[in-house]
Amino acid sequence: MTVPAPLNIDQVYHRCPLEKLDFETTETLEDLELPCGQERVLRALEFGASMQAKGFNLFVLGPSGAGKQELVERFLSKHSGEKEVPPDWCHVYNFKNSDRPKALRFPAGQGREFRTDMAGFADELRTAVPATFESEEYQSRIQELQEEMAKRQHQGLFDIQEEANRNNIAMITTPAGFTFAPMRDGEVIDPEEYKKFSDEEKQLVESKVEELQKKLQQTIQQIPKLRKEVRERVHALNEEMVQITLGGPIGELREKWSHLPDVVAHLDAVREDVVEHAEAFQDGESGPPAGLLVRYKVNLLVDNAETQGAPVIYEDLPNHQHLTGQIEHRARQGTLYTDFTLIKGGAMHRASGGYLILDARRVLTQPMAWESLKRILFSGEIRIESLERLYGLVSTTSLQPEPIPVSVKVVILGDRTLYYLLSHYDPDFLDLFKVEADFEDDLDRDADCYSLYARMIATMARGVKARPLTRDGVARLIEHASRLASDQRKLTAHDRVLRDLMSEADYWAGQAGTELIAADHIQHAIDEREYRASRVRERSMEQITRGIVKIATSGEEVGQVNGLSVLRLGASMFGQPTRITATARPGKGQVVDIEREAKLGGPIHSKAVMILSRFLASRYAGDEELSLSASLAFEQSYGGVEGDSASIAETCVLLSAIAGVPLKQSFAVTGSMNQHGEVQAVGGVNEKIEGFFNVCRDSGGLGSQGVLLPESNVEHLMLRADVRDAMAEGRFTIYPISDINEAIELLTGMEAGVADENGDYPEGSFNRKVQDRLAAFAEVGKKRNGDKDNGNGEGGKDSDD
Amino acid sequence: MTDQPQSVPDESGPGRVLVLLDGSRLSLAALEAAADIAALRGNDILGVFVEEVNLLRCSGFDFAREIGASSGAARPLDSAMLEMRMRALQEQARRSLQRAVASRGLRQALKLCRGRVIEEVLSLAGPEDLVVMGRVGWSAAPGSRLGSTARGLIRRAPGDVLLWAELQRRPGHGVVVLLNDDQGANHRALAVGIEQARRRHQPLTVLVRSNRDNGPEVVKAIEEQLIARGAGARVRLIPRASAAEVARILRREAPAELVVSRQCSVFDEQGADRLLVELNLPVTVTP
Repeated sequence: MTVPAPLNIDQVYHRCPLEKLDFETTETLEDLELPCGQERVLRALEFGASMQAKGFNLFVLGPSGAGKQELVERFLSKHSGEKEVPPDWCHVYNFKNSDRPKALRFPAGQGREFRTDMAGFADELRTAVPATFESEEYQSRIQELQEEMAKRQHQGLFDIQEEANRNNIAMITTPAGFTFAPMRDGEVIDPEEYKKFSDEEKQLVESKVEELQKKLQQTIQQIPKLRKEVRERVHALNEEMVQITLGGPIGELREKWSHLPDVVAHLDAVREDVVEHAEAFQDGESGPPAGLLVRYKVNLLVDNAETQGAPVIYEDLPNHQHLTGQIEHRARQGTLYTDFTLIKGGAMHRASGGYLILDARRVLTQPMAWESLKRILFSGEIRIESLERLYGLVSTTSLQPEPIPVSVKVVILGDRTLYYLLSHYDPDFLDLFKVEADFEDDLDRDADCYSLYARMIATMARGVKARPLTRDGVARLIEHASRLASDQRKLTAHDRVLRDLMSEADYWAGQAGTELIAADHIQHAIDEREYRASRVRERSMEQITRGIVKIATSGEEVGQVNGLSVLRLGASMFGQPTRITATARPGKGQVVDIEREAKLGGPIHSKAVMILSRFLASRYAGDEELSLSASLAFEQSYGGVEGDSASIAETCVLLSAIAGVPLKQSFAVTGSMNQHGEVQAVGGVNEKIEGFFNVCRDSGGLGSQGVLLPESNVEHLMLRADVRDAMAEGRFTIYPISDINEAIELLTGMEAGVADENGDYPEGSFNRKVQDRLAAFAEVGKKRNGDKDNGNGEGGKDSDD
Repeated sequence: MTDQPQSVPDESGPGRVLVLLDGSRLSLAALEAAADIAALRGNDILGVFVEEVNLLRCSGFDFAREIGASSGAARPLDSAMLEMRMRALQEQARRSLQRAVASRGLRQALKLCRGRVIEEVLSLAGPEDLVVMGRVGWSAAPGSRLGSTARGLIRRAPGDVLLWAELQRRPGHGVVVLLNDDQGANHRALAVGIEQARRRHQPLTVLVRSNRDNGPEVVKAIEEQLIARGAGARVRLIPRASAAEVARILRREAPAELVVSRQCSVFDEQGADRLLVELNLPVTVTP
């Protein structure tokens, strides 16, 4: 097998061809309306936004900072422009059931007009009705009425008095009523004198008195009835006067709103209510009570007077109240009070007939907000309920406004995890959010993409109010976008990182006093970001250079190799080498993964070690039993180990330990391996290579060091300039490997050897050494087993068995 | 029969204010008005409580029953009970009188007498005295706005009579004096009007009933009288119409108080009753 050729600098970095960028600065580039490379999302949005059927709401999935909200808002505002403006909604007083305010629907813009009309009407009531009661006509009619009634009351008593007088009987008032007594010449007869009357006369007088008393009683008992009649007639008169007064204004309103039967019905109810409360308007000075006039107000809940097309609403605090609306209270002398004018609409009201954009995490973290949202989407109407009522915490009576029908397309923005969790755990979720719009993390980097990507950068630069970028600035940004995507053939679609980088580069350009952002400003921004996040990396590096963490970058050692790992801290990640060691001795075909035994290894790592152990057995033991007791460890690793990217390194170090052949310490190895010894791709290769490069540079200087990485990872390389420079000077080498044998040859300098048809490797090859050593282990094993069978149990003490 | 003043004031100032107390709600309101006027004039106040002899006699009959003014229920009327009630009313009148004068620093006396109210008052009142009373007494027949005592006194009293009325729902403003263009008693009515307007701190309006062409002269004469008394007023001519028409005009003026001379022609042919019944406001009738 021939050793693969090392990579040249063009293979480890995909430059942006400047000739593809046909401009001087981004100032001349047009804005890009929709981002490039997001066709899947755009098609999903197009479909979801146009699809009318129930449940076709959208969930836009993508990592945070991908610019989901901006894209969705931009798309929807364009899409909604052609749609019809939704209606206005008002709440008005319900005269039949005051706890349930009614909802009235108006064509867009007319709600406001109706509110003004009713405010004008209430003002008119305030003046016109009292004026009616002040009028001469009303006053004289009421006077007539009262006089007539007084006369009727008085007449009855007067008649009795007259009758009494005719019969010489006096009707005398007492402090509490009336009494009758015989009189003569206008004077009541002295009782003593009366005694002298004949029995006949007395009887005559007394029977008359008794008769008068009865009549008087009857008359007085009629008085409450008469009073009631007066009240009724006064009320009827009041009603009549108010009817006449209201006739004009109500008639005009009825005619104006005749195209809306519900409004006409409300106007009729208002008229009846005013007539019913006519007396309350009588006091011209202090005016009718405010509580009465409030009933004729209009609470304009949804005002679409200035809405163009369908509304697109983004609710940044999507709690229950903000979504469904709420009933507010006013404190009045320590008492909380509410009425229909205090009903406030929510985002669902405002977005009805259009689109409502919400952030999934925010909705889910607000109590009851998610449940309320689903309830509205299922029922198609908004029912305003306070959170306390939903939880059953209060039992005081409150308003229950008439539900308002709603037709809203909800667009939820969230990360993928949330989408998959909701799909799995919420049975309603897929019924309500049938359209999945999945954001691309990366865009294809091909010959055609440059001009579009440059326009996207130009648009972003304008968006963040940064200086225009020069051509080389754009090129550097595009190259960095590939590095961020960890792929020479991709560009990151991560909006936030690019924007932030551009803002920072703008700052550095400003510091440098230039009008344009050039490549060195972009580089400065990248370096600064890296520096800011470098504290942990530098401490880690210091430990290696001071020899506290042992990493050898030169010489050869048996059973020791440099593996590569990646650490992610917040938004930054960096690579660093880790020493992997192995031991081997005869045993029962076991490879002990010390990391796993110590419960520091993850399942993928354990799987990789099992694969490696099977690889060993199948490659070197053939049909024989593998007699091996080996161990593998990540030295000075105190955290967990996960992933299979150290498989190649582990295999090499184990084979070195078995064969006793030293490995070159100037190399670091990364790559996973299958059971056939083929090398497979891993992640984080750029960081790993740069991490090892840093260690080599800082601890003894560069010379012949290098990294072995899977061949399939080559197109993921976007290495730093200093690494590329060292490669150009031949002081640092990167070998792409596709098979374990290539790694063996590079690390040992020996030929690996290929097995013949009997499974034997050529003499002097590395693999032969391994095979021979394993055969020797097997012999030892057999002997030990033989001893055991003969009753000699000493071999049984081998703790590895 | 109790007939002893509680504290007889020295005779001082021109005239007194006599207030008729019968324990009714309106008489108590009239007492307050009387106290105000007395304080303004610096007069003494004399409360008059008359035990109506006819009523006392009524209680002497075995068959006498009292029919409740509101309920219409009949119950026996015996003299012991009536006596007790009268005493309670007297006591109440005394307390009310004391309370009313206490805060105003006036001198007061209470005259208790038995007989017929009109005669008793006429025997007590002189031409300089002002008699203050409610338009109606206790119980008063429902619907009645002018009691028999009031009717009698406005025609016969030697001095002025102020008939106090229930406070209106919407009290009026200003004092109106109603005059005839030909009567000789205008001076007195005008003087009372000026005094009442000053007491109330409200404007004065003089309405003159006139059918003749001498309107401007009459107005001028009245204005001169006003100037002579150092007062200002709006003087307006009105036609010599019926009491009902005058009442309508007065209602439009919406005054708080009315002053009218007994000699005013509107008093002819029961006109006074009509006018007073229709206008539910305090009215002073001058001789």
